[in-house]
Parts: sequence; C-alpha cells; structure tokens
Amino acid sequence: MIEQLPIINLLLLLGTALIIPLFKKRPFQLSLTLCFLVLLTVLVSSVFLLIHVLEYGEFYYHFGNHENLIGIEFLIDAFSAFFTVFVAALVLVIYLYSWKDKTEGIENKEFGRYYILLFILLFSIFGILYSNDLFNTYVFIEILSITSCAIISIKRKKETYTAAFRYVMLNEIASMSYLLGVALIYMITGHLNLERVATSLQSIWPLYSTNIIIAIGFMTIGVGIKAAIFPFHIWLPDAHATAPSTSSAILSGIVVKIYILVLVKLLFRVFGMEIVEALHIKWIMLILGSAGMIMGSIFAIAQKDVKRMLGYSSVAQIGYIILGIGLFTEAGLQAAFFHIISHGIMKAALFLSVGVIIYYKHVQKLKDFEGIGYQMPISMTVFSFGALGMVGIPLTSGFISKFNLGIAVIDANLIFFLIIIILSGLLNVVYYFPIVISAFLKDNKEMQKIPHIEKVPNIMLIPILTLGVAIVVLGLFPNLIMDIIVSVVATLF
Amino acid sequence: MKSIFKNNAAPVIKRHMIDRFQDRITYTSSKLILTIFLLLVAFIGLIKNVFGLTDYLKNVSFIYQFYLDIAHFIWMPLVILAIPMIGGLSQIAFGQRASSRRDRLVIFMTFLTIILIMTMYPQALSGGLEIRFPEVLGIGIGFRIDMLGYIVLLITSIIWFLVMVYAHEYMKKENKSTRFFFFLAFTYVSVLGAIMAGDLLTMFLFFESMTIFSYMLVIHGQAEEAYKAGQNYIFMGLIGGFLILCAILLLYFNIGDLRFVSAITKLDGLGNLKYWIMGLLVLGFGIKAGMAPVHVWLPRAHPVAPTPASALLSGIMIKVGAFGILRTATSYFFPSKEAVSSYADPIWLTIESIGAIIIWFGIITMVVGVFLALQQSNIKRMLAYHSVSQMGYIVLGIGVSLYLGYKGAMGYSGAIYHIINHALFKSLLFMVAGVVFYHTHEADMYKLGGLWKKLPFTAIICLIAALGISGIPLFNGFISKSLLHHGIVEAYTYGDKMFFFAEILFILVSAGTVCSFIKMYYYVFIRKTDRNYDHIKREFSCLDSAMGLIAILIVIIGVFPKLLLNEFILPQLRLITFDPDFIEHYIVDAHFFTSEDLWMTVLVVFLGVVLFFAGSKFHWFHIKLPRWFSLEYLFFLPAFIIMRLICRYLRGDRCPIEYSSYNLLNLKNDNQTGFVDRFVITMKAFNLRFEASIIKSDALIYTGFITLVLLFMFIFGRF
Repeated sequence: MIEQLPIINLLLLLGTALIIPLFKKRPFQLSLTLCFLVLLTVLVSSVFLLIHVLEYGEFYYHFGNHENLIGIEFLIDAFSAFFTVFVAALVLVIYLYSWKDKTEGIENKEFGRYYILLFILLFSIFGILYSNDLFNTYVFIEILSITSCAIISIKRKKETYTAAFRYVMLNEIASMSYLLGVALIYMITGHLNLERVATSLQSIWPLYSTNIIIAIGFMTIGVGIKAAIFPFHIWLPDAHATAPSTSSAILSGIVVKIYILVLVKLLFRVFGMEIVEALHIKWIMLILGSAGMIMGSIFAIAQKDVKRMLGYSSVAQIGYIILGIGLFTEAGLQAAFFHIISHGIMKAALFLSVGVIIYYKHVQKLKDFEGIGYQMPISMTVFSFGALGMVGIPLTSGFISKFNLGIAVIDANLIFFLIIIILSGLLNVVYYFPIVISAFLKDNKEMQKIPHIEKVPNIMLIPILTLGVAIVVLGLFPNLIMDIIVSVVATLF
Repeated sequence: MKSIFKNNAAPVIKRHMIDRFQDRITYTSSKLILTIFLLLVAFIGLIKNVFGLTDYLKNVSFIYQFYLDIAHFIWMPLVILAIPMIGGLSQIAFGQRASSRRDRLVIFMTFLTIILIMTMYPQALSGGLEIRFPEVLGIGIGFRIDMLGYIVLLITSIIWFLVMVYAHEYMKKENKSTRFFFFLAFTYVSVLGAIMAGDLLTMFLFFESMTIFSYMLVIHGQAEEAYKAGQNYIFMGLIGGFLILCAILLLYFNIGDLRFVSAITKLDGLGNLKYWIMGLLVLGFGIKAGMAPVHVWLPRAHPVAPTPASALLSGIMIKVGAFGILRTATSYFFPSKEAVSSYADPIWLTIESIGAIIIWFGIITMVVGVFLALQQSNIKRMLAYHSVSQMGYIVLGIGVSLYLGYKGAMGYSGAIYHIINHALFKSLLFMVAGVVFYHTHEADMYKLGGLWKKLPFTAIICLIAALGISGIPLFNGFISKSLLHHGIVEAYTYGDKMFFFAEILFILVSAGTVCSFIKMYYYVFIRKTDRNYDHIKREFSCLDSAMGLIAILIVIIGVFPKLLLNEFILPQLRLITFDPDFIEHYIVDAHFFTSEDLWMTVLVVFLGVVLFFAGSKFHWFHIKLPRWFSLEYLFFLPAFIIMRLICRYLRGDRCPIEYSSYNLLNLKNDNQTGFVDRFVITMKAFNLRFEASIIKSDALIYTGFITLVLLFMFIFGRF
C-alpha cells in the first residue's frame, strides 16, 4: 500500500483541482474545507513516506510496470520525501492564511480559480520532486511555470500583467534552454532516465565533451533563471511586488527552491562529481552565489515598496543557498538544505505578516509603516522575528543556517567567503532594522488614536504565529530536522 | 518583606517618619538598601569566618543541611535568569496606571536576584558549577560559574538593584517607562547570561541579545539624536557580534569544543590562524568594551539614553566586553595547570605577543579617551569618554596579564579589580549627572554652577565618586590603579623596555583624569553663577538612597582593599595557570598604602591641578579636530562622484542626478549624516541609476552570461 502513496498524492492534488469547479454552485466554505482535508491528507501521507523511506530505504515506482528504459519512473528517497513534507506543510500554513485574505485585488469569482491553480502548482511540484526522468521533469517544470505565472497575474491590474508577461517570457526562455540541454544529452546517451543517463555519461564523457558542456551550460542557466539566481533574478522583484501576498510567499518560499533542487539533482545525480569538478562549475556557482548575496541586498536597500524589498532579499538568500551547494561538500549541502527550509519559513512569515498589514491598512510603501507596530503588534512582531532571522541573530533559524554555512565554508578552506557571509548579514541589517524600528518606535499620533488593535480574522493570525514559533523552535533545536537533512544529503553523494 | 506589597494602610505611628521621604517607595526601598548593606556585611563576615561564626553555624545541623542543598543546587543559573524575566513580563500587567506597584515589583525582583547570587558562593568557590544543554542551538549551550564570573555577577546585581531604585524616581519624568523597564529587565537577563556562560556560543548568544535589548534603551528618548546614536550603536554592536561569530566558527571548526577550557596545544598547530582568532575576539568584544579605534559609538550612545540606562551601559554593559576578552584569552590561550610549570615554557609565546598588542591598545584607548573627555562640555558625554579611558585601564590590565603569562597575576587581578571599581564609580557619576539634569534640565557644565548649596548630598556623593575615579588613597580607584601600575612596571621589568613609555602615558592619563574631574566639579558645584535654583526642593528621594550605598561601597573598598582581593580574586587566581609562588609573594602580601604609591598619587594630583589651571588659562579645553578628518567623508563622497561620472558617461544627459543626496554627502552637513546614512544614500543613488536598466536588459544578460559560462567551461575545463 505504501508504495502507492506517491501516485495517490499526485492524483489527490490533481483531482481536487478538477473538482473545485464542480462545487461552484455550493457555498464556497465547502470547497475550502475539502481542499484543507486534501492538503492534510497529502501532508500525512508524505510524512508516512518519509518515515518509511528513512527506515527501509528508497523505492521506485514504475508506471504501468514498464521498466525505466521505456517507462516513466518515480524515485522516492529521503531527498524527495523530505522536501515533499516541507512543501506540503508550508503550503498548508499559507493555505489557511489565504482563507480570509480575499481583499487583495482578487475578485470573488477568481477565488475558486486561484485554488485550482494552487493545486495544479502543488501537483507539478510533487511531480518534479518524485520524477526520476529528465523529460518528465521538463513537463512538470512547464506546468509549474505556467501556473505560477497565473497565480501572479490573478489580480486584474495593468502592472500585474507586465510583471507576469516578463515572468512568462523569461521562464519560457529558461524552459527552452533546459529542453535544449535534455535534447543534447539524449543525443549522445539515448536515455532520459536519470540513472541511466548518469552511468552512460561516465563512460562517454571524454568523447562528447562539447555536447556535455553546452548541455550543462544551458541547463544550469535555464534552471538558474527560474531559481532567480543573480543576475537572472530580473523577473523576481516586479512579480513579487504585484502578486497577492500568498502567491509571493509560495513563489519565494517554495517554487524558487524547487528549481534549486532540480539544479542539485542535475549536478549531483546526472552529471556527477567528476564532470562537475572537471568543468569548475564550483567556481561559477560560488561567484554567482556570493555576487547574489551582496547585490541582492544592495538592491533591497533602496526599495520603497516592502514586497519588492522582500523580493530582493530573496535574491540575496538564494545566494546563500547557491554558495552552500557550490562548495560541493556534504557540509555545504547540509547548510544549503537547512537554509532552504529556514528561508522558506522566514520568508513566508515575512510575506504573510506584510500581507496582514496590507489587508488591514492597505499600505504597501515602507514610509507608511511608521508606528504600525502600535496597531498591529502581532504581525509586526512576527515580521521582526523574520527580520532578525534574515540577519542571523541567535535563537532564530537564520542563525543556524549562517553558522552551518560558515562551518562549511571553513571546511572547504575558502575563508574568503566567510567575509562575504558576514558582509551580507550586515547589509541585511541595513534594510531590515529600519523597518522594525520605524514600525515600533516612530511615534505617529494618528496611529495611536485608532482604538482597534489588530482587528484581523484569527485564521490569518494563527498561520503567521505558527511560522513565528517555527522560526524560534528551529533556531533553538535545529537537530529536529538536521538529522533528517544529514540522511537526505547522504543520498546525493 | 511583606511590607513591599502593601500599598496603603501604613501604620499611623510611622506616618510622620515617612513624610520626610518623598514617597512610600523611597521608604521601603531605603529599607531594602539597608537590608542589602547588612546582608553584604553578613555575607563578607560569613566568608571571612569572623568570630568563628561560620564554623559555629556549620555545627547547627539544619543550617548545614541547607548549606549543602544550596551548594548542590546546579539549576541556580536558570533560576537567576528566570527571575528578572518574570519580573519584566509581569510588570507589564501593572503598566503605567499602577506605576508605583510596577516599580515595587521591579525593585523586588532585582533584590531577589542579589540574594540568589549570594547563595551561589559555595558553588563558585569550588569552581564546580557547570550545566550543559547539549541539544540547544545544534551544538549545545551551557553555564559555568567560577570566581571571575561570580564577582562580576555580584557587583552587577548590586548596581542593577540600586539603579532600579534610582530609576523609580528618575523615570517619573520620562515617557513610556513600562517599555523601559521591560527592555531593562531583558537586558539584565542577557548580561547575567553572558557572565554565567560556560562556552563561547552561549556568551555570544547573550551578547547579541544584549546588543538588541539595550538598543531599545539607547533610543528610549525617541529624539532624532537618539535615533542617530542608536543606529551607530546597533551597527557597531552587530559588527562586533559578527566578528565574534567568525571567531566562533574558526574555533569550532579547528578545535571542536567551545567550552572555556585550555586549547593552546591545538591552537599552536594552527599557525597564524590563532592570531586571527584572538584578533577577531579582541576586536569583537572590544567594540562593546569601547576600545580605542572602535569606541566611536560609545560617546554618542551613552549620553542620549535615560540616565539609569546610561549608568548601566557605562557601569555594567561595556564591562561584559572586557569580561569577554578576559574570559576567552585566559581560557583558550592559557595552557592547562598541569601542562606547564615555568615561565620559560615556549607555550607562552603566543599569548605573550597577543598581550603586547593588547597593552598598546589599552594605552591608546586610555589616552584617546581622556584627551577627548577634556574637551567636552556635556557632563554625560564627558563621563562617556571617561568610560572609554577607564576601559583602557582594564584592557591594559588584561594585556599585562597575557603578556607576562605565568607571572601575569598582577595584571589579571588589576583588571578584575578595576572592572568592579569602575562599575561602582562610573554608575555613581552618571547617577549624579542624572540628578543634576533632573533638577536643572541642563547638561552643559559651563552653564551650571554653585549647585553644592542646593544639592549638598549630591555634591558629597559626587566628590566621593570623583576621588574614586581619580585614584586618591582611601577610595577604591586607588587600589586597582596601583595594582595596574604594578602590572605595567612588571611588564617592563620582566619584558620589553618599551613599556616604560607606557608607564609614563599611564601617569599622564591619570593626571588628565584628575584634571577633568576638578574641572567638572568646579564648574558644576563650586563656581559662583548668577543663576538661581530656587525651585529645587530639598528632600530625600530614591535618587539619594541609591547613590548613598554605592558611595559607601566605594569608601569601604578603598579603606579595606584586601577584602575583595583575598575573598574573591585570589581563589580565581589559583584556578588559573599562574605561578603559585608569584601569587603568594606579590598578591597575598600586597601592601597598598606604601610610600612609593602615595608619592605617585601626589605627583598625579599635582600634574592634574597644574593641567587644570593651565588648561583653563590657555583654553585648551576647546580644541577641536578638523572635520574632514573622518572616514565617512573620505570614502563616500568620492564613491558618489565616481558613480556620477560613470553614469554621465553611460547615459549622457538622461542621467538622473539628485542634488539633495549630493548635498547630504558634502562636507557642510557632516554632523547630520552618519556612516550608515551615507551608505544608504550612496546605494540609493546606485539603484536609481542602474536598477531599471538592469531589469530592461534581460536579453543581454541571458545571452551574455550563457556565453560567459560556456566560454569559462571551454577554456578552463579539463577534458
């Protein structure tokens, strides 16, 4: 039975997306509850899978019992099981928040469509994580980029369309680059299955090095655009600024990370360490990662729109992850994976707490945040915890990421990058602290007069509080997930 | 203790007695202060075993049982951390509406902390208290109490309690005092945690939280000036934190253990890296301690905070920085007691060269601090610069103890002693400045005068504190300064002769300190002015009772110098790898009031008086350095101009130029814009010019980078 769970997960997600339109005539509460139950089921089954995989080891799922030479294959190991749990849990929290946050320019009749898109998006994410096949990954990537474009442009506003158009164009270029790489690899190996490709690449690598170099170049850049690695982040700030808060949280916290995981799969499972080392991909990633860490923060400093600023901050944080992966050591990969989790939680907390403020106050400019802490103490406190985490203050999960990354950098004997990590932390202080300070300390007489404090539905506050608690708990007891991450990383080496 | 929580219903007989006090809390807190004083006397008495009292009590079985229980209660650090935290959280419930109840609660909680800390003495003496929580923060945190931590802990808790009493009265004139007490309580927790830390990570954890919580104290006034100072404070503090983090990472990776135990054998194998580690630690903790090149935040932040906070910032919090240097240097870089038995062991070489550098850092800090203090007119700012200078003394002591290694006991005890003494007199001086400001609303000493008639009690207190800081015999500063002086003399006797100049500078700085306090005392209290202060009422308030006890402690320490040395510092010296013979000869038998030391004092005072008269005659107290002589000006304006030129070159006339930001960076507005502001302005200009063009050139970036990456792999790839 447990072997069937991955496909049941996928079918549940896809089925829910199809069922939501059928409930159009019924009260909307019904479909909301249904979706919640489905997400909960998916989360539980992913947790079961993770426990199973950790205990009994990885297993394959063959569609129609065809062998992987011609058929489609899913690989469920610690890597995919762990990240599906993370995605399902984070989406559940964001989903709960989205129940009430209807005001953000999404029209009522679009609300059902939003959930359809959300479930298709989740379906494709699960597909990408499980899939053990280059072309299948491509198919799921296409679904993911179309749906994420749709959840960005769900608001019917002019600037949303420009942002979404830029996003879709760049993403198409990226998908095509990826596909080109897949074609080049298929040309020389005749396989699409990850493991078969990997084994045959080992033997033919000296013969077809030009093919392989071009394939690697196009595939990494293609995935890099989607993962918003600096300098391919150009679509990201506009997309974040105009999208609804929940979409921004999903985009920044999850979708971007999925592409990074695809990159990890490509580099570690398809090409393998030998090719990676021979082509010095390490240095490309280290340079891009550290440039992103600095430049993302520098761009964030000057932003006037809070969500745009958070978007640029994501660029910087993705730099951390890329730096960790680029070390190509176990410690580096562990640090990167931990940061994927901790950044996902922190960025979701930041976006959602900003979302609460936008919901209540209808302000999005940083200068309107003065004195807002008096009215919205809960959401600004969560925001502050997220901000402290981004800076890397102890007791937040951001500190643990920074600590692990620092150890990994020293371990790889590249102390120079330690300086970059520290500098980037300081730059984070420059743009996160003034917001917190002006929110809590700048007296705004008008703000204090208003009698209602935080008159926001509880269903929006509970998720952000959960995320805030998660930041601190992970900061205090990182070993809760670090032990799992160690076994996840072990599957890649 | 019950009377603390009784608000009304005072016995009628006591009524007339209470009337002399300003309010009921003054009365109860005065009783508490008296209790603390008696407790301290009893505590010292028990430790010293006066009249065989301790032996007698040990024979009483239930007391002995109680003693044993305390001596084995290892969770005490957690209890001590919890109490101020509970106090800070529960005082919110009272809030502004029941402000006197709130203040009672705060005062009582700090009182309780002192008592609990006193009960830890047996554990600290045996050096055996150590608890660890291995799961927390991934690699585990822990607490450890030894005599070094204990003595700092005790003095911290006493001063914190007194400042809380003082704050009750003082904060009546400030807004949002509930918030103030809340963050004060959490700062207290962080300070206690940093002192009790058993490893570097724990120390760092509490150190960072101290920076953040105390930031809220610095900007409490919410004036524009406070925000600027606060920005400086938090950035410098976090930079210090990140430097310590680097050191932690390097240490953890190379040694694998962050507990404060000797690691010199492993560190010796690291080559130059060990100097980097120590350098990062010294600089990181030094920023908080106000060490010379990185002290710039201190004179800005300390004066703008409300007086209770500045008394604690200067009295306690900067000590945590010095404490950090002392702790890390004497644990990681000292060999273990068993491993070494002589002065000539090559294992001391590392610590010797580190110590020499730290001594010069200390000397520079002393000189810079006192030089700048002499130029100030704002009392609190002057005191803040003196904090810098006095921290120089402490850093010097640490440097001497490292430099001399096996024979460094003198410098070590001098540093600890000066930490205690400076905590006492500097917080007292800030409290005096606060009283003056409280009554006159004036902090400029040139605009004050003749206050001794109106505030005689404060004038006496201030005299005691000034004598303390100037190092006059019978007051506490004399003791630690002579210890440090002996230390520096030993440094050039046993080591480099260059430290003779250090001694001369030491004497000059002491003279400068004397001069500076003559100046302050003259201008504030003695000088005749035409200003009248008729509105000042003479009454006994919490301000006075709090200051009284500190003044008494200053005199007691000054008259009985051996008390602290024998009971608190000596046990710690014996725990550290110092030469036991040296300790027995020079520290146990130390004589303080020798003719040599007294003549030195006479010389210092004479120089100070001469300097004061010469200075006021030739207007030396108003010298200012040129403004362009600052890093801010030298770096950001050129960066801005270069960027403008590039932009002009690229985009011609369409280049957006913001003259307002250019003006902000220019020389004329030097005072208004700080380092971070300049950075932000430069970055904003950068963004304005390049952000949109980067986003628009998406196709170029894609093609360009794909070509670059492919070329890189083709050229450098091995195939």
